Amino acid sequence: MFARLLVRLLRGSRGRLIVALVALISGATVISALLNLDLDIERKLAQEFSTLGANVVIAPGQTMQTKDAGTAAPSLMDQAIVLSALKQVGSADVVAAAPYLYIVARSAGTPVVIAGTWLDETPKLDPTWKLDGEWIASREDQTQCLVGRDVAKQFHLKQGSEISLEYQRRSAKLDVAAVVDAGGTADSQVFVNLPVAQNLATLGGEIALVQLSVTGNAAAVGDFAARLAQALPQFQVRPIRQVTEAEGELLGRIRLLIVSMALLILALTALCVLATMAALAMERRMDVGLMKALGGSISRVVGLFLAEVGVLGAAGGLIGCIAGLALSRWMGERVFGAAIAARWEIFPLTIALMILVALAGAFPLRLLGRVKPAVILRGE
Amino acid sequence: MARVVEIEGLRKIFGSVRALDGISFSVEEGEWIAIMGPSGSGKTTLINILGGLDSPTSGNAVVAGTDVARLDESGLTRFRAEKIGFIFQQFHLVPYLTAVENVMLAQYFHSTTDENEAREALKRVGLGDRLAHLPAQLSGGEQQRVAVARALINHPKLILADEPTGNLDEVNEELVLRLLRELHSEGHTILMVTHAPAIGRMADRRIELEHGRLVQITELSTK
Ligand SMILES: Nc1ncnc2c1ncn2[C@@H]1O[C@H](COP(=O)(O)OP(=O)(O)O)[C@@H](O)[C@H]1O
Ligand SMILES: [Mg+2]
Repeated sequence: MFARLLVRLLRGSRGRLIVALVALISGATVISALLNLDLDIERKLAQEFSTLGANVVIAPGQTMQTKDAGTAAPSLMDQAIVLSALKQVGSADVVAAAPYLYIVARSAGTPVVIAGTWLDETPKLDPTWKLDGEWIASREDQTQCLVGRDVAKQFHLKQGSEISLEYQRRSAKLDVAAVVDAGGTADSQVFVNLPVAQNLATLGGEIALVQLSVTGNAAAVGDFAARLAQALPQFQVRPIRQVTEAEGELLGRIRLLIVSMALLILALTALCVLATMAALAMERRMDVGLMKALGGSISRVVGLFLAEVGVLGAAGGLIGCIAGLALSRWMGERVFGAAIAARWEIFPLTIALMILVALAGAFPLRLLGRVKPAVILRGE
Repeated sequence: MARVVEIEGLRKIFGSVRALDGISFSVEEGEWIAIMGPSGSGKTTLINILGGLDSPTSGNAVVAGTDVARLDESGLTRFRAEKIGFIFQQFHLVPYLTAVENVMLAQYFHSTTDENEAREALKRVGLGDRLAHLPAQLSGGEQQRVAVARALINHPKLILADEPTGNLDEVNEELVLRLLRELHSEGHTILMVTHAPAIGRMADRRIELEHGRLVQITELSTK
């Protein structure tokens, strides 16, 4: 009977309830879109901070860049000098280190960026990469490579495919060990072991930079970078973690904005429901008086109305959430230029929130608890 | 015979108005009482107190073995659900419930619903073909018959009717009165407020109020 009464109540006042429902749906749409953005940003932040990727870089110094005055070619470093200095300073704090040499080769006539490195160190330097395939275990392996997601798409590659690379008159054929989803520039690069790149470009012993992963907090990492800089005065040594932290701070502010907007919208939705419910409570005074006269207890009668509002909140939450996920995708692409994934925990979260908002908005219905059943015999 | 109603020195004061000013009488089980009196004489107030819709300012009121003056809000609610069947002048059906659901609502507040029993009750008042109609789709007389079915569904100790035919035309008035006579002959105890002397004469006894005082009790039936 409870369910039957509920259905009748919902139908009986559908004109008014639709107004409240529309408010709840709109609120839920915006809330779930914001929450989805927020959670996804949080996930991305967490990825950046929780994993120890590369956080110190050794790059050519200012002086090196003017060695050949007039040429625009990027300056390079001598691999042997850098690595021996690294060995001297090197401590247990260095989790991973690898040199990098970037060249622009061609594959089937199309330019593609080749990164030569020590592929056995890559899992530690880029722990956030998602691989479709296997890591390459040895830095000596000259037959395999990793390809970025975008490269794989462009050249129709997958694990086990072959890719041939040409650089001027030299070429190399490599098997694809894995396709990399890095969520950044690495998606459009091909990763090979250092000798492969050096041989293609005839740049034996030359490297463009070294990336290190050093444990410790920002201060410890800065300390280590300073010591390394002393040992390598001709090169630039800088921690790169600080950049990420600045980004993190910005994202944190965006989150704060999102959360405060969400709270504002929740409050507005509750107010809209409140207005509707106040009108409804007036309309139902007689019905409530009657129900009480017939022996309906306050808790039963008000419970019935609250259940009605709860159903409304749940429905608004569900419909709004579906719209909200679509909205957050659109906002992600249009506003943030990032693919925002649908987070399914948004559904229970939004629905629970909207039920709470609806119940808060249903506050005027509580006044029905005070209606005296005797009004039923007067009021005429 | 058991007493269903026993009141003594009943008073109800609204501000400066003495709606009931020391009323005493009792009603035996199975009696049909007509309450008459001019407008504002306290008839509705009396019905409200006997039905547990309102509490007296002072005096005793024992209804169906329960001292209604001493019940708190939730006790009164239980009392109404279990002991009283109300019939109102304005019918007072829930507008978004069908005829049968209006009857079931009283079952629901009393204990558990039984749709078949609710249907039977409506058939008994001649509305077997109106079960799924909403109040707005029923005539006044039909609505009042739904209210009668609702008042009976929980087998109340006392039926309280405040001008049950006041809003009906003669044909429907006759239908409702016939139902009340049937209920009376089956042994139900009925207290009915009415303005019409002809209707008042159908009762076993007539109680007349004036300015909240009981001015006359007339014995009508000769049983
Ligand atoms: N809730 C109330 N507040 C104030 N005065 C009331 C209230 N209910 C009834 N009265 C007064 O009590 C008197 C009796 O009213 P009522 O019992 O409704 O009379 P009747 O039903 O005989 O016409 C009237 O003067 C009425 O104005
Ligand atoms: Mg009256």
